[in-house]
Amino acid sequence: MARRALLTARRRRQLLPYAILVPGVAWLVVFFAIPVLNQVYVSLESGTIEQGYAFDWNWSSYGTALSDYQEQFLRSLFYAGTATVLALVIAFPLVYFVAFRGGRYKTVLLALIVLPLFMNFLMRTVAWQTILQDDGFVADTMRSLGILEEDGRLLATRTAVIAGLTYNFLPFMALPIYAALEGVDRRLIEAATDLYATRWQAFRRITVPLAMPGIVAGSLLTFIPALGDYVNASLLGSSRETMIGNVIQSKFLVLTDYPTAAALSFLLMLFIVVLVAIYIRVLGRRSLFEAAAA
Amino acid sequence: MSAVTRATRRRTVALGVWSGFALLYLFLPVFLIVAFSFNDPSGRFNFTWQGFTLDQWKDPFSVEGLGTAFRNSLEIAALSVVVSVILGTLVALALARYHFRGRSPLGLFLFLPLATPDVVMGASLLGLFLTMNVATGFATILIAHVMFNIAYVVVTVLARLQGMDAHLEEAAMDLGANEWTTFRLVTLPLIAPGVAAAAMLAFVLSIDDYIVTSFNAGTTSTFPLYIFGAARQGVPPQVNVLATALLFAVVLLMVGNVAYQRRLARRDAAA
Amino acid sequence: MPEQPRPEDIIERLLAEQRLSRRGFLRKAGATGLTFSGAAAFLAACGGVEGTATKTTAETVAVDHPKVPITQLNFSNWPLYIDKSVIKSFEKEYGGKVKYTEEINDNQEFFGKVRQQLQQGQAIGRDIVVLTDYMATRWIRNDYLTPIDKKNVPNAQNLVEGLRAPNFDPSRQYSLPWQSGMTAIGYNPKRTGGKLSSINDIFDPKFKGRVTMLADPHDSASLMILADGKKTADATIDDVLAAIDRIDEENRKGQIRRFTGNDYTTDLAKGNVWISVAYSGDVIQLQADNPELEFLIPDEGAVLWSDNMLMPQKAAHPYAAETMMNYVYEPEIAAKIAAYVNYVTPVIGAQEELAKTDPETAENELIFPSDETRAKLNPYPTLSPEDENRMLEAMQKVTGA
Repeated sequence: MARRALLTARRRRQLLPYAILVPGVAWLVVFFAIPVLNQVYVSLESGTIEQGYAFDWNWSSYGTALSDYQEQFLRSLFYAGTATVLALVIAFPLVYFVAFRGGRYKTVLLALIVLPLFMNFLMRTVAWQTILQDDGFVADTMRSLGILEEDGRLLATRTAVIAGLTYNFLPFMALPIYAALEGVDRRLIEAATDLYATRWQAFRRITVPLAMPGIVAGSLLTFIPALGDYVNASLLGSSRETMIGNVIQSKFLVLTDYPTAAALSFLLMLFIVVLVAIYIRVLGRRSLFEAAAA
Repeated sequence: MSAVTRATRRRTVALGVWSGFALLYLFLPVFLIVAFSFNDPSGRFNFTWQGFTLDQWKDPFSVEGLGTAFRNSLEIAALSVVVSVILGTLVALALARYHFRGRSPLGLFLFLPLATPDVVMGASLLGLFLTMNVATGFATILIAHVMFNIAYVVVTVLARLQGMDAHLEEAAMDLGANEWTTFRLVTLPLIAPGVAAAAMLAFVLSIDDYIVTSFNAGTTSTFPLYIFGAARQGVPPQVNVLATALLFAVVLLMVGNVAYQRRLARRDAAA
Repeated sequence: MPEQPRPEDIIERLLAEQRLSRRGFLRKAGATGLTFSGAAAFLAACGGVEGTATKTTAETVAVDHPKVPITQLNFSNWPLYIDKSVIKSFEKEYGGKVKYTEEINDNQEFFGKVRQQLQQGQAIGRDIVVLTDYMATRWIRNDYLTPIDKKNVPNAQNLVEGLRAPNFDPSRQYSLPWQSGMTAIGYNPKRTGGKLSSINDIFDPKFKGRVTMLADPHDSASLMILADGKKTADATIDDVLAAIDRIDEENRKGQIRRFTGNDYTTDLAKGNVWISVAYSGDVIQLQADNPELEFLIPDEGAVLWSDNMLMPQKAAHPYAAETMMNYVYEPEIAAKIAAYVNYVTPVIGAQEELAKTDPETAENELIFPSDETRAKLNPYPTLSPEDENRMLEAMQKVTGA
């Protein structure tokens, strides 16, 4: 019959993905995409807060952003990168232990890894100020061990900022790796050892590649927020440790220099997107959002 | 004991020690915060230990404005979790199980909120509200929180969906179930851990958020806003009390959940 | 004024076509491709916001806020800047509900938050905001405020002599000081090995890495200008920039550990730092925990700033706001606030009131400075908006952010 119901099963199946996508995507378009695109517009304006801003294809903000703040860009890259590597080094054995040797205590241990996240991050960072204070236990011990000079300090240094970054994002590195390791079929490792591989070879050739999606995800969830962070640098660092996030924040809020702030933000976002694309291509066989399963 | 077992045992111990230190590292600041909730400072600043007292715990809301801020944060967190988990899970489902036009660009688009600095998100969203003459306050904070939470929910649930065997769903549908029934009886139970993880993440992100909230809060106060304001002048011990209380509440929830799972498992085994 | 040929033409045409409501206007403006930024710029160009014209100093604006029952008051202030019992007693005496929000942590930051609404001529949902002199100057200059009906604030006569006619508001038409404060040197004499007397003492190489300075150039640059023997009231932008250069030099040497907001208190309290450019109220509070700390008003002088109560444009409850202003200028109430906040009260008679109940605090030089001390106090330099921007930018380069 010609007047069939409009929604045949086939048509429904075709439309279904769009239907369930729409609410979430619409929310992001309205409250994320449009405002951010507007920022791109703002970055091409010139003016001051007193006189108002005018759109005039003013690319000079980008020029200023790149030339004046190179130092902070590179420094942020270095800090975020170091923090990511450190987080990986600390988290991986921890997570491996929980996944493969945790046994009955797996859930408990996992909960412990996640728990600090539920304590307000600002308070945790402020707590680090107390822990690393000049005449505190940590600093004193390091001085007596000779790692720190006599009149050296831990706070307001690069070390403190990187340590803070590593600390704050450690659970974000740990969780995806755990999820990936948990999914590794133990029998594959057994099979490998049956075929005369050493445990190390089995680890390197089986476990690590299978954990790789988790490592990729964890690294990204650590590196990206670390790159844009400013709290750690502000609380634990000095003027020599300021990151690009600090510059953006002060440009926005203190100097109210919106065009430059918008230009800096856009450059940072662009930078991250490019970096992530390269990273995934090099390390991940599948991108974060490609379907896996079948 | 064979050489292999001995080596394994050594490795386990080494890993265990490393893990112990790592966990200690994670919890050191937490211990400090909990400890200082029992401090008895004579002045406004809670930096140096001056004596043990339970007074702060007896009267945590005595500090003006803290109670309201804390309650606002809890409400916003709860609401934003519910909305973002629902919306985000649906999006993850679409991405994982269906091939449709625009799938890859959509993937990239969903990734962008994760790559955007908080300052940019907060300031640009405020700009939108001002243009549309929307008064900033509770509702706008909520909108902002749902916005950034959706992206995190999608990533988390998607990971779980990708790791799970899609054939199960196919099988269900082959056996005559429609999409909704399949989702309800097959997919949802299987991705439940992922959804739970996403909910937890969304909750944390919401209740901890400062930058985006500060732009869009108007005169509404939230817990992080309160702390940031107070931190410059001296965080009262009552803040430590509430932060610790929140942590304990979460611990209780987790313990409760584990106990519940155990009971379910036992019931299933007995059946 | 920025160049705005195209938008102006379009909008003039639109307005000529029909009478548009504000909302309709903005929607149309949006439709013609202007964003809110463009609209704001246009409004600025059209004199809705005047960038460079100064308010005629002598004119008093006629304003009348009739007495109405007080139902609501939206009061935004800095954190820990009031004894909350004062709010309660105000509510009891006058009725209504006071919504007191401690949302102001930084003048520029707060301005950035409400700027767009102000520039578009809208109400910002607050009846009283408290902002430091230089920000009050900006709001007055740009006409963001509702003038005060002096008839409702008779207690304004209790304002101290020295603050009655500042150059940014000579007849106190728009502002009334909330608290004043001093910026000078907070330090620990035990750690520094003796008392300090001059601002230049803080640059002694002995103290390398043990000094913090405020990131706000209004404070830090002012102290440097005083250290040079000049007066801040006469300072030009060149003096300011030279002062910032000196700060830069010392920072590069590693003398300055870091630049802070109000969070120098942590470092000072913990002994990480021995000397801080500090605010008087903070140091008094720190002394409660650590009596070793001292606040130095150096030989060359220190800075006295004020935070001012202001009524933003289109405030919904002006009578209630004025009643509050009048209330906190009663010596009894002012004394209560001073005792809690520990900053310099601008209200005459508060010291005597406080002496009745808390003679020790009433004697505190830092809360009630003697005339001798007051003579050593200087205001922030007065700068044009462009120069102020130059100062902020220069300081940002030094602090790295």
